[in-house]
Amino acid sequence: MRIDANMNSASLSVAFCLLSAVIASAAPLKINGSTTVNLPVAEAAEILRAENKLDIQVDTQGGSSGGISMLGDGQIHLGMSSKPVSDDDRQKYSQCHFKEIHIGEDAVALIVSKDVWESGVHTLTKAQIKDLYEGKVTNWKDLGGSKSQRIAFFNKEPGRGTWEVFVHWLYGSPKLAPQVNFPEVGGNEETRNKVGSTRGAISQLSASWADGKTVFALALVAEDGQPVEPTAANIATHKYPMSRPLFLLSNGEPNGDAKTVADFLLSPRGQDLVEKHGYLPLKALVK
Amino acid sequence: MTRAFSWLFSSVAFLSVLLLAGVFFRASLPVWQQEGAAYVTGHQWFYRQHQFGALSLIYGSIVVSLIALLLAGPLGLGTALFVAEYLPRRLRLAVKLPIELLAGIPSVVYGLLGILLLRDWVYDVFERFEPLSGDTLLTAGILLAIMLLPTVVSLCEDAFRSIPSAQRRAARALGLTRAETIWCVCLPQAWQGITSAFLLALGRALGETVAVFLVVGRQDNNLPTNWLSPSPWLQAGQTLTSKLGSSETNIAYGDPLHWSAIMGLGVLLLLLTGGITLLGTLRRNRNA
Repeated sequence: MRIDANMNSASLSVAFCLLSAVIASAAPLKINGSTTVNLPVAEAAEILRAENKLDIQVDTQGGSSGGISMLGDGQIHLGMSSKPVSDDDRQKYSQCHFKEIHIGEDAVALIVSKDVWESGVHTLTKAQIKDLYEGKVTNWKDLGGSKSQRIAFFNKEPGRGTWEVFVHWLYGSPKLAPQVNFPEVGGNEETRNKVGSTRGAISQLSASWADGKTVFALALVAEDGQPVEPTAANIATHKYPMSRPLFLLSNGEPNGDAKTVADFLLSPRGQDLVEKHGYLPLKALVK
Repeated sequence: MTRAFSWLFSSVAFLSVLLLAGVFFRASLPVWQQEGAAYVTGHQWFYRQHQFGALSLIYGSIVVSLIALLLAGPLGLGTALFVAEYLPRRLRLAVKLPIELLAGIPSVVYGLLGILLLRDWVYDVFERFEPLSGDTLLTAGILLAIMLLPTVVSLCEDAFRSIPSAQRRAARALGLTRAETIWCVCLPQAWQGITSAFLLALGRALGETVAVFLVVGRQDNNLPTNWLSPSPWLQAGQTLTSKLGSSETNIAYGDPLHWSAIMGLGVLLLLLTGGITLLGTLRRNRNA
């Protein structure tokens, strides 16, 4: 009986391998997930398309959660995520063996529009940010701004890695975060545009997207009272509190084209792409 | 033979609609079981706490569509009247064609135009009412109005054109002026066609997704304290369609209750658009 069962599972897994080989050779390699991780991955895909003649589709539906759920559901070959796969997700997609491939590090910045920056708000404390998120302060005057201006908070939509890092830092876990109703924004591009074009605006955004021209990254006041800016040095030493890992996700060890992509991103050329888009490559991280 | 086939095909069409509604309703059963009527009347939509009250979404959808109809209705009716009653035959096509071409533009293009032009315009023009940003229910309504215009113009014009010319000539022979002819003969005769045009446009507005999604602001649970007050129109909101288009659909996948709540929104949308479109089509057919 036992041998029989083993035989069965062996033949099943052989069949499965064959099947996945057929799918892999016929269909393009599908990658989906975080817009943050997308930047270096899309460029790597571009290079691999030209040099290795790989057929790759990179998409950013639903951000990190989209990447996790679609990988868990077997719709894509590689996920992109700017947050670790939670135990809840592992439980939800128990048939998928999520493997996290660490390709770099990023920070979440709180960014404000130009008028807020110019009215003198350059730093915020954790307590101030909590008040802001819970709607207890609604005017920049109460947060050190020189003129009265209503606060327009654009919340990153749930499921975005950026949002999860933010509430993780503020409340310890997404589940402990209070329920709030703010206008929601999705990808990084949208967030930057909306904050840049709205008076009194603030939102969470990947630090590398804060260009210092239309949107400005605030420094966070550490426990010793010193402001900490989201600079590369502060992220590398974890002095800046809201940093996060960037992952490629695969179901088990990646193989075939998926392995080519993962290996490329971990190679010096791939790591240069990570750095080029404003993230920290692995070698810059202080363990 | 032809008769048999037409029966066959219409029943296939009818059954597929029923099947679709059935599949959606079945998929949404868990949320009806948990929330009951509160699913439609509840004020709170917090999926992490498994609270699913869709009232603010229904409110958003209806407000956005009504704003669109209020703007596109009179404008479209006026245009149709001008095209059908005043314009010489040769110029008619020159005016009608560009308007109907508007209907062929993909809605995502409208949405991008909305982001580019309309958001900032609304933000600046209504500045003294202090909107928090340019993403408001009103912005979405105005954008939808532009999208509805071809539907309203085209259907209203058809309604006017279906009135026999003999009636106009009779009215003129009785000494009525052109304006009087329009008021006393054309408008009453075409009334059923006009209202059906409005209903069909409303059905389209309720179902529109991408353009609305891009400019509505996507703020949950935004219900006014005073239902008739227009001041919440200048706040961000959420519609049934913008919710369905949001990242929550991805998150809901795998959580049976949350997923059924999302499917339930599909049922509500199907009922709203289906009901109104049906009403509009029935009126139109009775007229013809």
